[in-house]
Amino acid sequence: MADQEDFKTRLKIAKKKFKNNSIITNNNENSSFIGGAFKLGTELVSAVLVGTIIGFILDTWFDTKPWLIILFFFLGSVAGILNVIKVAKKMQQKD
Amino acid sequence: MSTNPMHQFEVYRVGPEIKLAGIDLSFTNSSLFMLFSAAAICAVLFLGTKEKKLIPDKFQLIAEIFYNFIAKMISDTAGSKAKPYFPFIFSLFMFVLFCNMLGMLPYSFTVTSHIIVTLIMAIFIFVAVTIIGFLKHGFGYLKLFVPSGVPLILLPLITVIEIISYLSRPVSLSVRLFANMMAGHTMLKVFGGFVISLGMLGGWLPLGFSVALTGLEILVAFLQAYVFAILTCIYLNDALNLHH
Repeated sequence: MADQEDFKTRLKIAKKKFKNNSIITNNNENSSFIGGAFKLGTELVSAVLVGTIIGFILDTWFDTKPWLIILFFFLGSVAGILNVIKVAKKMQQKD
Repeated sequence: MSTNPMHQFEVYRVGPEIKLAGIDLSFTNSSLFMLFSAAAICAVLFLGTKEKKLIPDKFQLIAEIFYNFIAKMISDTAGSKAKPYFPFIFSLFMFVLFCNMLGMLPYSFTVTSHIIVTLIMAIFIFVAVTIIGFLKHGFGYLKLFVPSGVPLILLPLITVIEIISYLSRPVSLSVRLFANMMAGHTMLKVFGGFVISLGMLGGWLPLGFSVALTGLEILVAFLQAYVFAILTCIYLNDALNLHH
């Protein structure tokens, strides 16, 4: 029993030390930062891709080649920039 | 061995040919490595949770670190409401991580370097998150596409843009993982080819690069699994806690 009590107090002290240790949290932020950097590029491109594909499909539906694909290409670009702004805002909130 | 750097991505049949209603369902090397990674995950977690010691041994430590890592990530990004989805996100993270890491072994096949694999996972997440959103909020979930404080004239345009932005989620999610894995592995093969073609005299420089790139690729393998899981959490957060 005494052994277990001893272990409990040691665990408490270790937990306190762990809380005060800021290196661990710093490390974590760093890795999510690299993750964010990887995220931004594809976010922009994928929206343009999706917009263009939607435009292409609608064009074949309505027989309006090439007008809708042009329109949706630009709408997709706008959506891509919007995506990047959203992600960047989220990244800034964390700091 | 072929010197073609794209040769490593070739999918070929392992075992007999299976055809069902004109669809090729044969067991391929891709399926084999998916099975390997699933088996590896089961082995690590089974060994880690077999004896629940107060002071953990190595396998238990690994299992506990993974558990804590994912649990913390979910509570940080999606809040306490996302707790029921822990098993799904944990399995997803482990599967992507082990597929990426098994791909780092020589002569192995990287399952996640094929867009069809990552796209299916991303579409599954996308559909699931959309269904969860509609179940939780009903048609109020459509408010996601109508930001508040927009002039009435601009509203149709903004809604279309928001819908495109929403539909681009599975594409960006899958393309990111696929492109990172494929580019990294191609680069490794190309530098490996330089070592052979430059021989004993000039081969040392690309050899050094190869070693450095292997380290980088292990980082990327982990990071991409992490990004895949954290983005799933973020999308889940959007569906559970509607902000607009």
